[in-house]
Amino acid sequence: MSADQVTLTIDGKEITVPKGTLIIRAAEQVGVEIPRFCDHPYLEPAGACRQCYVQIEGQPKLATSCTVAVAPGMVVETQNTSEAVRQAQVANLEFLLLNHPLDCPVCDRGGECPLQDQALAFGPSESRFTEAKRTFPKPVPMSPLIGLDRERCVLCARCTRFCDEISGDRFLELYARGAGERVSIAAGEDLRSPFSGNVVQICPVGALTATPYRFVARPFDLTSADTVCRHCSAGCSVRVDQRRGEVVRVLARENPDVNDAWICDKGRFAFGHDDAAGRLTTPLVRDRGLEPTSFGEALTAVADACRGARVGVIAGGRLLDEDAYALSKLARTVLRTNDLDHRRAAYGGAAERTAATGAGAVTYRDVEHAAVIVVVGLDAEQEVPILHLRLRKAAARGARIVVVVARRTRLHDVAEHVLVRPGAEAAALAAIVAGTDAQGVGAALAAAGEKGLVVAGARLAEHDGAADAALTVARTHGARFAWVARRAGDHGSLRAGVHPGFGPGGRRLDVADERAELEAVWGPVMVEGPGRDAIEILRAAANHELDVLYLIGVDPLRDAPDAALSRRALQNVPTVIVQSLELGDLEPYAGVFLPAASFLEREGHVSDWEGRSQRVLPLRAGAGISRPDWEIFAGLAAACGGDLGFDTLEQLHAEMARLWIPREGVVDAAAITPPTLPDGMTLTTYPLLIDEGRMSAGADELKAALGEPAFAEMHPSDASAHGLADGLGVRLRTAAGEAVVPLRVTEHVAAGTVFVPFNQPGLAANTLLSGTFTTAVEVAPADADAFATVGGDAS
Amino acid sequence: MAVFEGVVLEDARTILGRYPEAHQRSAIMPLLYLAQSIEGMVGREALREIGELLGITTAEVEAVASFYSMYRLLPTGEHLVTVCTNLSCKLRGAEVVYEAAREAAGILHGEELSPDGLFTVHEEECLGVCDFAPAVQFNVCNHDNVTPGRMRELIAALRDGEVPTPARGPAFGSFKAASRALAGLEEVPAS
Amino acid sequence: MTIDLEPRLTRNWSDPNAIGLEGYVAAGGYAGLRQALGMAEVDIVEQVKASGLRGRGGAGFPTGMKWGFVPRDTGKPTYVVVNFDESEPGTCNNRELVEREPHRLLEGTAIAALAIGCETAYIYIRGEYLWQSIVLERAIAEAYAGGYLGLDVCDSGKRVDVVLHRGAGAYICGEETALLNSLEGLRGQPRLRPPFPAVEGLFASPTVINNVETLMNVPDIITRGVEWFRAVGTEKSPGTKMVTISGKVERPGNYEIPLGTPFRAVLEELGGGILGGRALKAWTPGGSSTPMLTADHVDTGLDYESLAAAGSLLGTAAIMVLDDTDCVVDCAQRMVAFYAHESCGKCTPCREGSWWATRVLERLEDGYGRSEDLPLMHDMGTNILFRAFCALADGTASVINSSLAHFADEYEDHVRLGRCPLREAPVGVEVAG
Repeated sequence: MSADQVTLTIDGKEITVPKGTLIIRAAEQVGVEIPRFCDHPYLEPAGACRQCYVQIEGQPKLATSCTVAVAPGMVVETQNTSEAVRQAQVANLEFLLLNHPLDCPVCDRGGECPLQDQALAFGPSESRFTEAKRTFPKPVPMSPLIGLDRERCVLCARCTRFCDEISGDRFLELYARGAGERVSIAAGEDLRSPFSGNVVQICPVGALTATPYRFVARPFDLTSADTVCRHCSAGCSVRVDQRRGEVVRVLARENPDVNDAWICDKGRFAFGHDDAAGRLTTPLVRDRGLEPTSFGEALTAVADACRGARVGVIAGGRLLDEDAYALSKLARTVLRTNDLDHRRAAYGGAAERTAATGAGAVTYRDVEHAAVIVVVGLDAEQEVPILHLRLRKAAARGARIVVVVARRTRLHDVAEHVLVRPGAEAAALAAIVAGTDAQGVGAALAAAGEKGLVVAGARLAEHDGAADAALTVARTHGARFAWVARRAGDHGSLRAGVHPGFGPGGRRLDVADERAELEAVWGPVMVEGPGRDAIEILRAAANHELDVLYLIGVDPLRDAPDAALSRRALQNVPTVIVQSLELGDLEPYAGVFLPAASFLEREGHVSDWEGRSQRVLPLRAGAGISRPDWEIFAGLAAACGGDLGFDTLEQLHAEMARLWIPREGVVDAAAITPPTLPDGMTLTTYPLLIDEGRMSAGADELKAALGEPAFAEMHPSDASAHGLADGLGVRLRTAAGEAVVPLRVTEHVAAGTVFVPFNQPGLAANTLLSGTFTTAVEVAPADADAFATVGGDAS
Repeated sequence: MAVFEGVVLEDARTILGRYPEAHQRSAIMPLLYLAQSIEGMVGREALREIGELLGITTAEVEAVASFYSMYRLLPTGEHLVTVCTNLSCKLRGAEVVYEAAREAAGILHGEELSPDGLFTVHEEECLGVCDFAPAVQFNVCNHDNVTPGRMRELIAALRDGEVPTPARGPAFGSFKAASRALAGLEEVPAS
Repeated sequence: MTIDLEPRLTRNWSDPNAIGLEGYVAAGGYAGLRQALGMAEVDIVEQVKASGLRGRGGAGFPTGMKWGFVPRDTGKPTYVVVNFDESEPGTCNNRELVEREPHRLLEGTAIAALAIGCETAYIYIRGEYLWQSIVLERAIAEAYAGGYLGLDVCDSGKRVDVVLHRGAGAYICGEETALLNSLEGLRGQPRLRPPFPAVEGLFASPTVINNVETLMNVPDIITRGVEWFRAVGTEKSPGTKMVTISGKVERPGNYEIPLGTPFRAVLEELGGGILGGRALKAWTPGGSSTPMLTADHVDTGLDYESLAAAGSLLGTAAIMVLDDTDCVVDCAQRMVAFYAHESCGKCTPCREGSWWATRVLERLEDGYGRSEDLPLMHDMGTNILFRAFCALADGTASVINSSLAHFADEYEDHVRLGRCPLREAPVGVEVAG
C-alpha cells in the first residue's frame, strides 16, 4: 500500500482512503452518512455545528468527524454503532432546535432541508424548551436576489465561509457573538457578488432564500433534470428544475472536474430566456410581411436565395459542437463559401489555431494545481466566472498569478496586476518572453515547468500580435497554454472550423495536406481559403458584395463592434436569413426566419473552454416546430441539392469523430512585433457578466442585484489632465459616434485607457466602434444630466 | 473621509505603523477605538472608512466591531459607567451598586443612556479587580470598593464637572478621552 | 503560620520604585536578560524545561517544552505573544504583578523572544486594563531608552521589539487561538487545531503564547537557576503561584504561595477567614470555570494534581468564596450568564446551551422551577461538557455539574418552596414544609 493511503475501521468496516481524508468523508465511502450542517466538502473544516460527533477508540472525548483526519489503524464508531455518539447527536439537535421556528410548512427549504430531515429522523418529539425563542425581524434582504431569515439560521457559517474562502466577496459576515450572533451585511452594502446564489444553495436550512424562487414551488412539484449551463464557456454542471414545463430554478451540480459545487448568478438566475415572449417556433418567409410557413418551404426559399449566390455566414456563440460541425461542412461543401465566422475578433493567429487542433488542452484541475499562472486579456470574473473561482482556488493553494490587462480584475486581492493600455499587451508579453519584465514572470514560469500556465482570453485577438505573443510566452518558458473564448459555443465552433481560415481541427484550406485530410472525409471542398472574417463579411454586405447574409444565433446590431456598419450591411444585402430563437431587432431585415430549438430542448455536446465536450440531453419537448440547428443545416443542404452525409446524430458523430481527434504538431507563432500605439486616449470595451444581453432577458432581480447603468472608467492622471472628475459626466467622441456617461476615476484602469462596458443600460458601446473593440477617443467634461448616447451613426 | 481626516488620519497612520505592512488588518481594533474617541461611539461612516483604510469591506469591520463589548455601536453618554456584577463583585453587593448608578444617572427602564446624554451605565463582566470588589469603572478608570453611596457621590461629582480621582492611574474626563488612550494615543512620558 | 515563603514574584511589591526602570534595575532587574544574551537559544529553552515551570494561565502546560516546539527552519519570523487578557472571573493577579513591576514582564518576554529567535513580541492586554496598559507603555518606552529593547538589546546586536495590543472586551480572547485571531484583526473566535500556534500561530508563523505570570518567573530561573526554582512547590508543580482570593473573605487580594499549599491556609492565613466569621459554603479553586468545591475540601492542596484528585482544577488559582448566606443557584446563574455573554457564538452547545441554562437557572432562582428542571440541568451539563469547540463551554458545564453535585438539596428546595430558600419569603406566601 502506498504511503499516501491510510487504512482505518469505521463501524467495523475496514476502508483505505488517501492520507488527510476527513473521517466524515471516509465514512461516506463505507456508506455511512454522518449528520452535519457546517461541513461542506468544498469549504475549510469549521467544527462549528458539532452535529457530526463520532467516537474514536482511545480518545476520552467525542470528536467531530468533519475536523479530524483519518489515521492508520483508527477505529471509529458513528451513530450507527455507538449509543454515546447517538445520544450526543440527539442532544446537539435539541440545542439547534431551541431557537428554530416551527415554520417548515411555509419554508422554501421544506422537503429538502437537512435540519428537517434530522429532526424527523431522530429528534425528540416534544421540546423540553419552554422559554421564549429568539426573534429577529425577517426576512431581511441581503440583496435583490437573496433574503435572510435569521430565526431559521443555525449559524453554521457556510455562507460566510463561502464569501471568505471561495468568492472573496466578503459582504456577508457573522456579527456579534454568543446567542446574539447573526449573519449580516453592513448597512448600505449589498451582498454584491456574482456568486451570491451559492450561499442559498449551501444553506443547510431555509435561512437564506432566493427571491426569484421564494414561495414558487415545493420540491414535490418539480421535475429535475441535469444539464450543462449555456451562459458561458465555463461548462458548469447544473440541475434545472421545472414546474409544469417552465424553468423555475437552476442549481449547481457537484463536478470536481469543472465547477466544484458552484455556479455564477447568471447561470443560476438567468433562466427565463427560452420561455420569453419573443420566442418564435415557426419558420417565417417574407412575402408582404413575414408569413408563417413550413420548414420545407422556408428551406426551399433559403436554397433558392443561395443558389449561385455570394453567401456570408456569421454564427453566434450558442451552437452545440454538432451544429458547428454541420455548419462548417455546409458552408464549404454546399454553400461554397469560406466567408464564415463565429468570432468577435480576428487576430487569433497561431494561438487560436493551436486551440482549434485540440492538442495540449489545459483543464480546471491544471489551473487549480498550477504554481505560476499568467492571465492575459481575460477578466475571468466577468467573462468565465467559474474559471475565476478556480484561479482564486489556485491562489489559495499558493499559486502566483500575474494578470496582464487594461482593467484590474477581481483577482486583485490574490494576484499581481500589470495594467497595460489596450494594444500594449504584445509589448508587455514580449518583455516576459525576453525576461526583461519587472515582475520576473518568465523565470517564474520556467521554474514552474508543467505547473506554469498562460491563460489567454480570446479578446487578445482584438490586437494584432497579442495572441501570438501570449503563445510565445508559454513556448519560451515551457508553460502550458490555454485559449479561453467566452461564449458557450465558442470552443466548439473553433474546433469545428466555423472560421474563415480553417475547417475542423484547424485544417487550413490553402495548405495541401491539411485540405486533403478534410476532403478525405468530406469529399470535394468547393472553396479555396481563406475567406472573410465576421467584420469583413459585414463590410462586404454593406458594400453590395454579398447576396445572402446568413445569421445564426447572432444579432450584429447588438454584437458586432460597429453598429452603423451592421445596419448598413442588413440594409444593403439582398437576403438576410435569421436562424435563432427570436428575431428581435432583425425583424425588419429578415427574409427568412428559421426557428431553432433551444438549448433545453436539444441533444448534443458542448465544449467548454478546456475543450471538455459534455453531453446534454433534452429536458423537455421541442417548442412548436423548431429544430436543432444541425438538422436545419442538413435540411438546407438537401434543399440545395446537396447532402451533408448524416440524417441522425449517430451518423453525424461517426463522421465528426474522424476530424475531431486532437492534432498534435506545433503551430508556429508569428514573431512579436508590438504595434505602435496612437497618441491620445484609447477606448476599450468588453461585456460585463450582467448586461443587456438577450440571455439575461427577464432576470429582473439578477439585474437589480448585479446590473449597473453604463459608465466610463479613467485613470486619475488622465482625468485630471482632461479636467474630469469622478461622478461627473464625460463626453466620449470617437470616429463612429458620441456618448455622455458618468465617469469613474479609478486606478483600476491603465493610464491612457477609457473603459466602457459593452452593453449596459444607457449605452450600446458598439455605437462608438468602427470594426474593433478598441478605438481612439476624445474625452471632455459634459453636463452630468445629459447621460445618454447623444450621437452615433444611425443612418 | 469624514471621520478619518486631518489629524485623525495622521493618528490612524501612526496606528497602522505599529503593525507589519503585510498585516495592517491588525490595526482594526485601535482604529475602532480612535473612531470612538472622535464620535463617542463607532458610527457607520467610521466603519466604512476603516474598511477603506484597511482594504476590507464594511461588513468585515462591523463583524469585528460588534464582537467586542468595548466598542459602542449606539449613542453613548459623555461618561461611561461600567459596574462589574460578576460573582466576586456580586458577593460584595454589586447589584445594588449598579441599581444605584442607574438611579443616580436618571436612566429609564430598559435603557442604558441617560436622557440628558451624560451617562451610559452598563452592567459589565469581570473587570479584574476582584480584590477590591465591587469594582466600577468611570471612563475605564477604576474605583474600588464602591458602595451605593459612593456611586451616588461619583455621579454627582461628574455632573458638577469634577473628575473624581480613580483608585489607580490618571483620570480620563470623558468616554472619548478614554477611547483615545485605548487607541494608544495618549502621551506617555517615561516616568 | 503554615505558609512560610520568601516572596519571589512579589518580593519588590513593597518598593514603589519597582514600577520604574531605575528601581527595577537597582533591585537586580534585567540581569536575567543580560545573562540570556550570553546563552545559546537551546540552552535557554533547556534551562526553562529543567525548571519544570508550567504555564500559569490555567492549562499548566510545561513552558520550556512549548518553546521547544517552535520550528526554526520555516523561513518565517517567529513570534512571542504575551497573553495578558486575564478575564477569568475572580482573577486579577496579572494586573497587580504588572502594576507593581512591569519591567519583570518585559524582561521575561525578551528572554522568551531570545529563546525562539523572535524579533517582535506582542503583548495582548485586555481593554479594561487601561491603566495597566499605560504602565506598560511607559515601561516599554523606558526599556527602549535604556537599551533593553529595540534594535540592539544591551549592545548584543540582537533585536527585540515589543508591541502592545489592547483587546476590547471579550473573555474568549484569553483562549490562545482566539487571541491570535483578535491580534490579526479578526473576530476573537478560536481556531481549529492543528495547526498548533507553535507551528502556525500569529500571521501563520511559529508562535509562543505565554501568560504574564509564567513569563515573570523566567528572569529568576535564568539568574538563580533550576534548583532554586524547584526548592519551592511540589515535584510536578514547582515554584510559586499567585492566587487571588475574593468574595466572602476578610482580606481579599493577590497572594503568592508555594504550589501545594492547602486551601485552608490560604483562606485563614492570607484571606483572614470568612467575612464576619460566618461559615464557608463553597469555593472555586481556579476561577468560575473550575468546578466548585465545598467545606469538605478545605484541606485540599492548591496544585494541579491535588485539585484534579478532588474533582476540580487549579485554573488561574482564583478562589471565590461563598458563605452560608449565599445561594448556590443564584451564584450559578450569574456564572452561567457570564459564559452565555462571553460565548463567541461559533459552536452550538456553547452558544445555545449556555443561553438556555441561564434562562432555566433564572427561572429556578425566581421560584418558577419545575421538578423536571433538575434532570434537565443535569442533561445540559452532560451535553455541554467536552462537546464544544473550545474549553469556554466547559466552564458552563463545570458550574452546572459541580453545583448540582454538591448542592442538589438546595436546587430541590428552590423547586419545592417555589422560591429561593435564602431569600426571605415575600409577604403573603405560605412557606411549605
